[in-house]
Amino acid sequence: MKSDKPFVHLDHVKFSYYSSQGEVEALRDIDFSVEKGSFTAIVGPSGCGKSTILSLISGLLKPTGGYITFYSEEFAPPKIGYMLQHDHLLEWRDVYKNILLGLEIKKQKTPQNLGLIDSLLEKYNLSDVKHQKPSQLSGGMRQRIALIRTLALRPDLLLLDEPFSALDYQTRLSVSKDVYDIIKSEEKTAILVTHDISEAAAMADTVILLTKPPCRVKDIIPIEFEKHGISRDEVRNSKLFQQYFDKIWRELQNENTNQ
Amino acid sequence: MKTQINSSEGQKNYMRKARLHRLFIFWSRILVFAGFLALWQTASSLKWIDSFYFSSPFAIAKLFVHDIRDMSLLSHIGVTLWESGLSFLLIIVFSVAAATFFWFYPSIGKMFEPFLIVLNSLPKSALAPLIIVWLGTGPRTVILCGMSVGIFGCILNLYQAFEQTDAERLKLIETLGGNKLQKFTKIVFPQNIPTFISLAKVNIGLALVGVIIGEFLAGRQGLGYLIIYGSQVFKLDMVILSIVILCVIAMLLYGILNLLNRKVIARWQ
Repeated sequence: MKSDKPFVHLDHVKFSYYSSQGEVEALRDIDFSVEKGSFTAIVGPSGCGKSTILSLISGLLKPTGGYITFYSEEFAPPKIGYMLQHDHLLEWRDVYKNILLGLEIKKQKTPQNLGLIDSLLEKYNLSDVKHQKPSQLSGGMRQRIALIRTLALRPDLLLLDEPFSALDYQTRLSVSKDVYDIIKSEEKTAILVTHDISEAAAMADTVILLTKPPCRVKDIIPIEFEKHGISRDEVRNSKLFQQYFDKIWRELQNENTNQ
Repeated sequence: MKTQINSSEGQKNYMRKARLHRLFIFWSRILVFAGFLALWQTASSLKWIDSFYFSSPFAIAKLFVHDIRDMSLLSHIGVTLWESGLSFLLIIVFSVAAATFFWFYPSIGKMFEPFLIVLNSLPKSALAPLIIVWLGTGPRTVILCGMSVGIFGCILNLYQAFEQTDAERLKLIETLGGNKLQKFTKIVFPQNIPTFISLAKVNIGLALVGVIIGEFLAGRQGLGYLIIYGSQVFKLDMVILSIVILCVIAMLLYGILNLLNRKVIARWQ
């Protein structure tokens, strides 16, 4: 569950890269922390380097300035799970073998881990499709399989890089809810990057708003449905949801019109 | 959808017509072939054409039976088959090795790409005389000729296919903690198996072409040698028989690879 201890802290992180068009300053000053067990959403204008932040946290990219610090009780660095925009299920493997991909790469096909996969499949009603081909599954199911592939590595922190944006609206609603439930029931910390304001407001405890590039943190908005006794299942129908939505929308709108 | 058990009259009619049409196509092909043989035989029996130059189906069949009996034909077929098979295998092994190496070291790949493009567009038979000077006549030259036709294109195509692997999928491997070797074994190579099969399909044909060119110029055995030898001593029965056997070989190889292709494609979807 949510605790007040910081888990990840980004301390004035900067990131620039070089291209033949010149140096690009993607992130100017990113400063926020994420608490253990929380669900953070990062929202910002398109092309503002939201995904870059996830790549930096995961270590795929190194910041050109500032620090990223992880706080954990163990000495080992936290394990990070990544979910990409497309599920990238490999068509030559069946569902089960796709889920095994991460364990194969990490050489961790232990009985415990295989057992975890079976129990996750069981728990989320996906055991029946275990030996099917990815092409036989719906988009929503594929994305849930991709989540289980990520969870099989027992990550402490989940990075979700617009994982629902390739789905149609109906599917997106139901899959985002499923993914939310799975993440909460597995007690994972998650950071979601999205351009969908309603998705951010419906899923997150905290929404971090970014400016246009070069990117800074514009605002950090706590989302407090629980305090008002609104369950996550029905947030989308609540007045508070509308208020959060409007607030985020207005700020983004300002960002797009201000020069 | 499965066919319904109680299909309607119209559906039955449609199925019957479709089956009849398939049968018609099948038998008409056989008829065309038989008609051609009959016309050819008649023309040469009635001396419309000179059977010295054009031979005749009966003469070819007689020669076939005779040469099979004295084993000479089988050994020539065998030589051509193993030379083509070996050329094909060497093409595949070298191409996979080179394309893999180039994928791991893209700067080296980029360095060699234009040379491969030039070599690939060269008419490869132009290389044959050079190979003869270097290696003399015999199977080594024939096999090198067999390889030369396909290998540059095969390396090039395979390398370019490897290079075009979806970057997001490679990122997936990174996010799962994989290294470059795992990117290759888990994504790049398996994803390109269908490309590999279709390249194999093309290259088995090209290996056969190359081997025949090689046997024309430097062989002392094989169907290519029989064709050249037969034409020089005006034994045109022998030439045409060899060509017919080549047709059959090409057909069989195509059939085998097509079957393999279909099996793989089914798995890769």
